[in-house]
Amino acid sequence: MSNALKTTRLGKRYGHTWALQDCSLALPAGRVAALVGPNGAGKTTLLQLSVGLLEPTAGEVQVFGVSPLRQPKEALPRLGFVAQDTPLYKSFSVAELLTLGRKLNPGFDDALARARIKMLGIPLERRAGKLSGGQQAQVALVLALAKRPDLLLLDEPLSSLDPLARREFLRTLMDAVAESGLTVLLSSHIIGDLERVCDYLIILSASYVQLAGDMQEIQRTHKRLIGPRQDEAAVASVHTVIEARHTDRQTTLLVRTNGPLFAPSWEVQDVSLEDMVLAYLSQQTRDRVPAQPSAREQNGREVLK
Amino acid sequence: MIWLTWRQHRLEGLMTLGVLAVIGVFLLLTGRAMATSFQQLGLSHCLGQTTPPGSPCPDLIMAFGTQYGLLQIFDILLIFLPLLLGALVGAPLIAREVEQHTHLLVWTQSITRLRWLSVKLALVLVAGLLASGALLAVLIWWYSPWAQLDGSFGTNAYDTSGPVWVAETLLSLALGVLAGTLTRRVGPAIFLTIVLVVAIRVPVASLWRPNFEAPITQTTPIGQVNTTQSTVSTQDWIVSQGYIDAQGNKHDGLVGCTSNQTSVHCFQANGALALFVSYQPADRFWTFQWIETGIYVGFSVLALFAAFWLVRRLN
Repeated sequence: MSNALKTTRLGKRYGHTWALQDCSLALPAGRVAALVGPNGAGKTTLLQLSVGLLEPTAGEVQVFGVSPLRQPKEALPRLGFVAQDTPLYKSFSVAELLTLGRKLNPGFDDALARARIKMLGIPLERRAGKLSGGQQAQVALVLALAKRPDLLLLDEPLSSLDPLARREFLRTLMDAVAESGLTVLLSSHIIGDLERVCDYLIILSASYVQLAGDMQEIQRTHKRLIGPRQDEAAVASVHTVIEARHTDRQTTLLVRTNGPLFAPSWEVQDVSLEDMVLAYLSQQTRDRVPAQPSAREQNGREVLK
Repeated sequence: MIWLTWRQHRLEGLMTLGVLAVIGVFLLLTGRAMATSFQQLGLSHCLGQTTPPGSPCPDLIMAFGTQYGLLQIFDILLIFLPLLLGALVGAPLIAREVEQHTHLLVWTQSITRLRWLSVKLALVLVAGLLASGALLAVLIWWYSPWAQLDGSFGTNAYDTSGPVWVAETLLSLALGVLAGTLTRRVGPAIFLTIVLVVAIRVPVASLWRPNFEAPITQTTPIGQVNTTQSTVSTQDWIVSQGYIDAQGNKHDGLVGCTSNQTSVHCFQANGALALFVSYQPADRFWTFQWIETGIYVGFSVLALFAAFWLVRRLN
């Protein structure tokens, strides 16, 4: 299957700080991918690089095989983007925002946009600045969807929404995915909502990709092992230990299995997405200890292969 | 894109039209009054180089000046109009988009960033130039009585009497746009626009303009002051005048003269050998206008290029 988005050793530096570093990943077309990571992990940078708003400092990014920055005429019509806090022209009415979409995009689906706005019960003549935060996010999403993109990039679209608005936003998104089969990359730090809608997961932390892959595959291969207190070396020789916790009597491991798990002395449990993501993010912090400086990078590369 | 530019700037456009309409009505009313007085006083007969003794002309010109002198101050105020346009329309053009993050919305539609900027700039600049051109036509007519008496050279009316006026509008808008891309915030952009406009216009007008062409200097030895006819007309622009001392140095003016001294005594007290006057003759007016227009257009093009380059690289 072809890739909607492909980055090769992509990096972005601001002054002396790398916002994103050595990021190589491929997002197959047709996927709904979650991009998770703490604030400042480089999520926004990765998304803005992907849509050509930023210029890479290192490496390259391609959407459907073209560079969004160097070939914007080819790339832009295929991309939909909803920026963080869903900026809109506040003095424009909803109808005027749709006109904007129509005038600036040859493939704009005005009928679709109007139908969705009507379904959401948002008055066309109301100014964007007078809409609730949830409605503004919905209008921004509708604008991006009516562009009929092949790849939709959403930057923290849920963060400012209440749970109800969040659910409605995701419903609009999933309806569109079901209808057109577009590829979605959605950044968020609200992990719970993503489990239901995403089938691909990318974990970004401290400017590095920690993990990227099929959601089911990831959930299948990540297990929690609980057993009497012992050293994790035996498990670590075959599998990758993401997190190890020891109490006086008990050891709990979070592992990525590299093959069949034969562990008679362990109780094996499934891991929730949230726990797994948190384990990866805390592992990153631990890896900063100078004793094992390269472990993080090795991990990242291994996963990507 | 044309629609979007219109939609975003229509309020500014209508406000500009409103301001122009108010100024236009004021100019039409006062202009008609001035033209009528000019005719009734018969000032057209007073435009010659010399006035014979006993001519009523000095009194008539004085009367006209007393009545309408205040209007010349209005002309000074007009000089700020291009600056205002640059600060209120040019500076926010890009700065407001970045400040409100709407550039993220508009730059991810199907048109490229460069096309977005090209169309937006072209429309706003053309509208600004048309507006300033229209106002210029009215201003030239309005000022014509004064222009016939004093000329427009070397006065505040210089800026409002030719293509320089339109070029100043272009320059202010271009510098405003550049300031906006540099600061990315509206407030600082407005401030920087004013700084940039002043930094370019003041040196050009006060240091460069008097030397676009070498001024003509007329030197009169002290002994011939009362018999020599001045070649300087009221329409000319006197750049500098004073006296020349025994060493050949030029001095701006006489010092320490008292009213009970004769002028010859005063000259001698200052060590003056001759009087000089340096001036730009009135027939150079249009040459100077076009040179200065060229300078401002040049700066505008540079500023716009810089703005394009910055927008292309703007993160």
